[in-house]
Amino acid sequence: MRIRNFWAAILIALPLAFMLAFFLVPFLVTVVASFHDGEGEWTLANYAKIVADSYYPGIFYTTFKLSLIATIVSFLIGYPIAYYIVNMVKTRAVRRLCYVLVIMPLFTSNIVRSFGWLILLGRQGLVNQTLVALGIIERPIPILFTEAAIIIGLAYILVPFMVLTISSILQTIDRSLVEASLDLGSSRLSTFFHVTLPLSLPGVIGGSLIVFTLAVSAYVVPAIMSGGRVVVMAMPIFDNYATLFDFNFGAALAVGLLVVTLILIALYLLFIERSSRRRIARQA
Amino acid sequence: MSILDRIARLAVVLLAWAGLVFLTLPLVIIVATSFTETEFLKFPPVGFTWRWYGAFLDDPSYLSSIWTSVSIAGLATMMAVVIGILVALVISRSEMRGRRLLNTVFIAPLILPTIVIGAALLQYASALGFARSFFALVVGHTVIVVPYVLRTVLASLERFDRSLEEASYDLGSNAVSTFFFITLPIIKPGLVAGALFAFIISWINVELSIFNSTAQLMPIPVKLFNYVQYAVDPMLAAVSAATIYVAVIAVIVLDIFVGIDRVAASQK
Repeated sequence: MRIRNFWAAILIALPLAFMLAFFLVPFLVTVVASFHDGEGEWTLANYAKIVADSYYPGIFYTTFKLSLIATIVSFLIGYPIAYYIVNMVKTRAVRRLCYVLVIMPLFTSNIVRSFGWLILLGRQGLVNQTLVALGIIERPIPILFTEAAIIIGLAYILVPFMVLTISSILQTIDRSLVEASLDLGSSRLSTFFHVTLPLSLPGVIGGSLIVFTLAVSAYVVPAIMSGGRVVVMAMPIFDNYATLFDFNFGAALAVGLLVVTLILIALYLLFIERSSRRRIARQA
Repeated sequence: MSILDRIARLAVVLLAWAGLVFLTLPLVIIVATSFTETEFLKFPPVGFTWRWYGAFLDDPSYLSSIWTSVSIAGLATMMAVVIGILVALVISRSEMRGRRLLNTVFIAPLILPTIVIGAALLQYASALGFARSFFALVVGHTVIVVPYVLRTVLASLERFDRSLEEASYDLGSNAVSTFFFITLPIIKPGLVAGALFAFIISWINVELSIFNSTAQLMPIPVKLFNYVQYAVDPMLAAVSAATIYVAVIAVIVLDIFVGIDRVAASQK
């Protein structure tokens, strides 16, 4: 079936109008607002305020630090799951069970998922009880409302994304390469480190950039897990819009977060392009 | 296999299952504590009672929140299905220029921070006078769920054998009847998966809704978010557990209709 340009233009008109009206133009309005003051005059004051004292750069630093650690943790948890599902599970039933367990958390809201950790990480929660019972700590330690709690909460949200991206790359790896390595006398362990892991690296880096982007803009999880005691980038955005009603300064913060995200995405695309070009070069 | 290899294999299996338990544990804990007879959250739960479910079903504000969420998700999904099919058709079946750009525009809400989309929508809606309304919530949700439908429908369109459509033409059908009798039935599994994802993504959204909610117009995740910040009790666990049951049903439906492993392969 070929759709002629005339009909294509008619079919796309309404969806495009919708996207313009409720997605692209709102973004433009926000960008323009970030360059205005309360009286409607053009100004750079909103951006000057962000970099003026160390408060906002400090928040940027905290957000990046927590997001980076959460990304690494979710990789360490996610990779074995993906590897196990793709390379070790023999029956489809078990594979389906694994995917059900991976996707189910994706289908519950960040609130509910964080709430689960709220119960687990409390002073009398299961984690503290277990650690005390094992003799690792003497008495319950405060975990909730610390940066550690945010990292656990974020990693928990991110693991399913990590598993899905890595498993989709692992599936594309040519089995005959692994078999060749084994036939030539390599152990399975060294085959993994010399063949499978390097080949899956594009998926790992792609997945990491995606989850890092999600972590940087997270609002709900840090808010619940830190009880508001640790401030990340998304929080002042919400506060300025919802409680302080300073839409112009809020817009500048939102644009800041947007720019950071776009830089990350650009890095991601650059990386994908370079790695696929390298793969083509290798094949040729 | 050497001993070292065996140990390594065992380690991967253990790590993988530890990871899967990590993913499931918080949800199991919530469901378990929602049945406790104590007045405060307790794990392991004490006794067994439906009391907390009764308490939330007796509270009309929870039911109205659930209804708000279901109607937003339902409407947003329907609009996303229409938009997703139209855009996918144009991208895969026409030669129009700028198709890649088109794809990027409609997929963009997936990667841009939802909180920024929410803020932008509030700002824009305030200027035009529809801020914090049901309409604002529905259009906002539609924007963020379109990518889920578009991706799966596009994948189905690219995959299937186009000679079927050509055969239909040769036999004298026009484009419209070819679409409804050939194309649509073939892409149905992808469409169902995409629509289900769209519904769930809207149903669990907080970051966008939070900007456009009011006390009277509050989707259930936003209501939970406001509640969890000042009180944590077994009724909250019961409401949360109810949303987990919805997720369980959705995953089962997905597995029956499309096969969960295939869905996982298409969502990355």
